[in-house]
Amino acid sequence: MGTLDYIWLGVLAVFQGPELFSILGFAVSVTLVMIFCGFLLGVAVGATPGLAGPMAMAIALPILISIFGYSGDALLPVLGFLIGIMKGATIGGAVPAILFNTPGTPDAFMTTLDGYPMAQRGQAKKALRVAHFSSVSGDTFSDLVLFVCAPFLAIFVEAYLDFPEKTALLILSLSFIAAVIGGSPAKGLISMSLGLLAAYVGTGEDFYPRLSVGSQKLAQGFPIATAVLGVLIIGAIFKGMEELWHEKKSKGTIAVVADSGDQRLSFADMRRLLPYISRSAVVGTAIGALPGIGSTLAATLGYTLGKNRYQKRKSVDDPDFGTGAPEGIAATEAANSSVSGANLIPVLSLGIPGNAAAVFLILAADSIGGFNPGPSVFKFTKDAVNPELVVAFGLFTAMFLANILNWTIGGFFMRSMAIMIRIPKQFLLPVVLLVTLTAIYVQETRMEAIWFALGFGILGYAMRCFAMSPLPFVIAFILGSKLEDSARQAFSASGNDPFFLITSPIAAAFIALSVVVVTIALRGQAKVYQN
Amino acid sequence: MNLSSKSNLYLGLFCLAVALFLVIVWIPLDTDTGLVEKVRRRLVVGDALAPTVAAVFLAIGGLSLVFIERNASSQPHLTAQNLRFLGSIFGVLFIGLTVMRYAGPLAVWITNLMAGESLEYRLLRDTAPWKYIGYFFGGTLMITGIIALVENGISGRGLRIAVLAVIVLMVIYDFPFDDILLPPNGDV
Repeated sequence: MGTLDYIWLGVLAVFQGPELFSILGFAVSVTLVMIFCGFLLGVAVGATPGLAGPMAMAIALPILISIFGYSGDALLPVLGFLIGIMKGATIGGAVPAILFNTPGTPDAFMTTLDGYPMAQRGQAKKALRVAHFSSVSGDTFSDLVLFVCAPFLAIFVEAYLDFPEKTALLILSLSFIAAVIGGSPAKGLISMSLGLLAAYVGTGEDFYPRLSVGSQKLAQGFPIATAVLGVLIIGAIFKGMEELWHEKKSKGTIAVVADSGDQRLSFADMRRLLPYISRSAVVGTAIGALPGIGSTLAATLGYTLGKNRYQKRKSVDDPDFGTGAPEGIAATEAANSSVSGANLIPVLSLGIPGNAAAVFLILAADSIGGFNPGPSVFKFTKDAVNPELVVAFGLFTAMFLANILNWTIGGFFMRSMAIMIRIPKQFLLPVVLLVTLTAIYVQETRMEAIWFALGFGILGYAMRCFAMSPLPFVIAFILGSKLEDSARQAFSASGNDPFFLITSPIAAAFIALSVVVVTIALRGQAKVYQN
Repeated sequence: MNLSSKSNLYLGLFCLAVALFLVIVWIPLDTDTGLVEKVRRRLVVGDALAPTVAAVFLAIGGLSLVFIERNASSQPHLTAQNLRFLGSIFGVLFIGLTVMRYAGPLAVWITNLMAGESLEYRLLRDTAPWKYIGYFFGGTLMITGIIALVENGISGRGLRIAVLAVIVLMVIYDFPFDDILLPPNGDV
C-alpha cells in the first residue's frame, strides 16, 4: 500500500460508505449527508449568540453515537458531522458580530470593530461577503497545511520519540497550554493541575481506586463527558445566565438599517483584500498549530498586522481600521478561521488537543473506538491496510468537502442566518442546559453523572469568575491518564531510572523547554506588574 | 487595598493549602500504593505519584499567584452576587432533578393507591407514559425555573418554551431509539 493508495481509500471511505439514498442512480453515502447536515447546523449555531460550535458538538455526540453505534462504520459519519459543525461555526460567528455588534465568540469581537460600522453605513451584505471570503480562504489555507504537515510530523514523532520523549512532550504541551491560555500563567497552572487531579480520581493500577474516599460512586472515576461538558459547556451556561440575570431586561429593539451602495464583492475587492487575508492566514495557521493558543490571539495579531499595513497604504478617503474598513474584517476573519484547521495538527500527529473543538473530536473517537488520534495513526503499512490511516484520510476528505460547502453555499446560508440573533438567550440557555444534561445521562445512564457534571459546571463557573481559562483543565483531564501511562512505561523501559526524563537528549530538551516556557510567561507577567 | 486587589493572594493561598492537604493528608491516606512500589523485586511507579505531581503543579500555581501575580491590575473574584446566583440556580436544578427522579415512582404509587394495583416503577421505566413523567415534569420545572430566575418572575412564554423544549427532546432522544433511556430511567 503506497501513500496514494491510502489517500484514495480515505476518499472512497467517505463517498462509498454505507448508502443513505440514491439520486439518479448515484448512491449518496451517509457520511456525505452527515457532513452537509453538520455544516448547516454549524453555521446556524455559529450565528446564534450564546452558542458555539463546541456546544453543538457536545450535544450532538451522544445522539450520533445512539444512531450509528460503536462500530468502525460509525467513525466517519460521526466525525464528519462534527467536522461539518466545526467548519460551519467558523463562518457563522461573523453574522451577529457584523449585523448586531454582538460577537458570538470572543475572537469575533475584532470583527465588530469594522463589520458593525459597515452595517451601520448600509453595507451589511458586503461586510458579510468580505467576512465569508476571508474566513473560508483562511480556513482552506490552514487545512492544506494540516494535510501536508500532520502526517510528516506524526512520522517524525513515531520514528524519533520513545516513551521518555513522549512523556516529556506531553509535559511540554501541558506547560505550554497552561502558560499561554488566558493571560495568567499562574491561573493556567492551577487550571491544569485541577484537570490532572480530577483525571486521577478513581483510577490507577492498584486494586483500590485512588482518591475515591471509599465511595463506590467515585470508584469508577469521573466520566470524561461529565468533566468536559461540565467545565466547558455548563460553566459557560451558568456564566451566561448570570450575565442575563444582572441585565434583567433586554436592552430594547434592534434597529434595522436599509442597504445602500454596491453590496457585491468584486474581483478588484478580492484582490485588494488578498494581502491581508494571506498574512492573517499564515499568522492564524502558525498560532493554531501550537496546542492551546486560541483564535482570539490570532484574530488580535492578524488585525494588528493588517492595521499597520493599511495605515501605510490607504488613501485619504478610505475609512480607518475600526471605522468600517473591509480590510479590518478580512484580517480578523482570515486569522481566526485559519486557526481551526491547524489546531488539528497536534491532535492528529500527537494526540494532543489544542482547542475545544479538537477535544470533542477526540471524545468522539474515544467513545466509538477504532481510531486513536496520535502518531500511530500515520503508519504507512505496506503489507496490510492500516484502518486508522484510512479514517485519517477520510477525515481530510471530510474537511475538504466541508470547505467546498463553505465556498459554495456557505455565503448564502450564512447571510440567511441573521434571524438567529432574534432568539432570546434567556430562553435558549436553559434549554441548552437540559439538552446537555440529557446528553450526559443517555451516555452514562446514572444520575451521579448529572451531579458530577453540575459539580464541574460550578467549577467552570468559578473559574470564569476568577478569569481562569477552563481549557487547560479540560486538556489536562484528557491527557492525564495518557501522561501517567507513558511515564510508567518510560520508567519501566529505562530500567527504573528515576531520571528518565533528562537522560535522553530530546526528552531533556522538552523538559527544559517546558521550564523555559513557564518561566518566561511568569517573568513576563512580573514585568507587566512592575511597570 | 480592597478585596478585588487581594483576590489573587487569597486564591494563591487557598491553592497552596489545598496542595498541602493533598500531599500530606488526602493522597497518603486514600491511595494504597506509594510514589514508587516494589513489585516482584522490581520498582514500579505507584498510584500516588501522578496526583502528587498534580498537587505540586497546584502549589507552583498558587505560589506564582502569591509572589508574581499578586499585584495584577485586574483580579476578578467570586462576589456575594455570584454566590447568590449560583445558590439560586443550583436550588432550581436540585428541585428539578428531584422531581425528575421521583415524579415517576410517585405517579405509580398514587396509581396503586387509587386503583388498588401493585405496579412497580422499575418494571415500567421503559413503558409509556410512565417513562416520560419524571423527565417531562422535572425538565419543564428546570427550564421554567431558570427562565423565571433570570426574568425575575414566572412567565407563560417561559412555561410554553419549557414544555415545547422537553417534548422536542423526548422526540429526539427517545422516539427513534430503543436502547436509550431518558433520565432518570437508567438507574432507578
